[in-house]
Amino acid sequence: MVISVRGIGWLNQEEYGCVRTGTRRSRRDGEPGRELFTYPVKYFGRLDGASRMTCYAVALALEDAGIGYGQYQKQDIGIIGTNATGSLGADTRYFRDYIDSGRTLSRGNLFIYTLPSSPLGEAAIHFGLQGPLLYTATHPASLSAAIDMAVESICADESPIMLAGTIEEREAVFFVVAKNDDRQYDTLCDVTEATALVNASRTLEEMITELTNAGRGKV
Amino acid sequence: MRAKAVVVLSDMITPYGRGADKCWSGLVAGTSAISRVTRFRTEAFQSDCAATIDGLQYHQDESLVMQMLASLFDGAASQIPGDASLILATTKGEIDLLEKAILDGAGDESDAVLQRLLARVSALAGIRGEGMIVSAACASSSAAVARAAAMIRCGRSDAVLVVACDSVTEFIFSGFSSLMALDKTAARPFDIHRSGLSLGEAAAYLLVMSEERAVREKRPIIGAVAGWGLSDDANHMTGPSRESEGLILAITKAMKSAGIGADDVGFIAAHGTGTVYNDAMEMGAFRAVFTHAAMPLYSIKGGMGHTMGAAGLVETIIALRSLRERTVPPTINLEEADKDAVGWATSRCRAVDRHQAALLTNAGFSGVNAALILASG
Repeated sequence: MVISVRGIGWLNQEEYGCVRTGTRRSRRDGEPGRELFTYPVKYFGRLDGASRMTCYAVALALEDAGIGYGQYQKQDIGIIGTNATGSLGADTRYFRDYIDSGRTLSRGNLFIYTLPSSPLGEAAIHFGLQGPLLYTATHPASLSAAIDMAVESICADESPIMLAGTIEEREAVFFVVAKNDDRQYDTLCDVTEATALVNASRTLEEMITELTNAGRGKV
Repeated sequence: MRAKAVVVLSDMITPYGRGADKCWSGLVAGTSAISRVTRFRTEAFQSDCAATIDGLQYHQDESLVMQMLASLFDGAASQIPGDASLILATTKGEIDLLEKAILDGAGDESDAVLQRLLARVSALAGIRGEGMIVSAACASSSAAVARAAAMIRCGRSDAVLVVACDSVTEFIFSGFSSLMALDKTAARPFDIHRSGLSLGEAAAYLLVMSEERAVREKRPIIGAVAGWGLSDDANHMTGPSRESEGLILAITKAMKSAGIGADDVGFIAAHGTGTVYNDAMEMGAFRAVFTHAAMPLYSIKGGMGHTMGAAGLVETIIALRSLRERTVPPTINLEEADKDAVGWATSRCRAVDRHQAALLTNAGFSGVNAALILASG
């Protein structure tokens, strides 16, 4: 089975972009916004920070992979996410708010983000992702472990296309990993090559540079 | 050739007590372990009931789940191979440590990070590797069982220990109450008058091996994870899809993964939380897939509550026991089945054919669905 990286979307405090198509935009020229989405994300302002980061990175990754989506369209695409601290920030916000409110009333719209898989759920709803959805983490957190799991899901016929990525407070990146037996898609590189570059990179910036070069090398 | 994933060892601690026998006996007897919560004040909440484990100390030295896991693995490590891969399934892990840090200033909020728990479970179980966490809301542990089976089928590992745990804490209870998801007294899955779930707590483990290794090590084979399917509704964060299409997709994928058809399934171990929408969504899926006749279906959540990230693993162990005993437990607290569940869910034990497979389903926040096909060994 041939499994390739069809696209990568990423953002950090300074920039955001797509790796395969080589798009790179400075946040000083304007924050990522509605133009990234085919149609507006419902209640985007109410989403927690991790969910917003996830939606941005997934939008960029799907754009890079040339995968469209629509408000009434659902696709068999799965999503796996990882990070260093799960939902700790959301947990703290929820419980402090509950305590500050007199330990009687709590806010459901804070509680729903206290699962580490919740940001992935928001992305699944907006982009119509009907494949497997789960959060995974290792110690220390490893993006390549999430990519490996995505590959395993594809090999086990759970879904033909998987998004795998990491979501931190200040940066996020998602890979579109897909079965490509017939070589019918333009791809960035083989998933094994991508994983090796991920493991060899110390920062997101370094990883994006290496993966961009890998894509150029192929062309 | 794809390796077959078989179950060779399992255990649990639940509100019924220590061990699968106590849980099985309680369920078959139709006894509910749901009672009044004394762990924290409940006056402000929608309910004052949950299924908790006797003897656990709240906000003391150890977290609730670590107390459960210490009891669970006491003396068990010798049966667990140190080279097994480890998957820990949970939703909130040691969240009571975060509560304690915020309420009492004792410890640090970051003590509740799941990776810290993963390292502690690895040490408790005697696993040499670090392992991984799988968290998919209330489908966490069935998704973890699916991952274990996938690792074995694709040859990445020949032994995977799946551990699952979650506890009843003020954090979790207040949250479900804020979503108006709790039954005032005790959950009544598939009942026409059902009005919500009851929370529960549990810890469990399941050792999954390749059949080749299990035979080589002369391990007793309890059953097999024959297939699995995972999906998402892509619909709503807390409400399931009314069209059931996400769960239908997961069930269809699971049967395809197992190489079986609807006629090969003998009974359903349903998620059956007792909320109006979950149970209706599940019945919609079951009726769409199994069109010939009603088949035995049960939920154990009227007995031991919804144990969240541990639910799928406890339910897997009980479903494998059902296959062995050729009996499915009753749906506890069911008095009058919802019209869609008539002939499917009942309040009595029923005989099943051990040569047929079991379908197990779980669903959770974010529209997550998991379906497992379990078979006799």
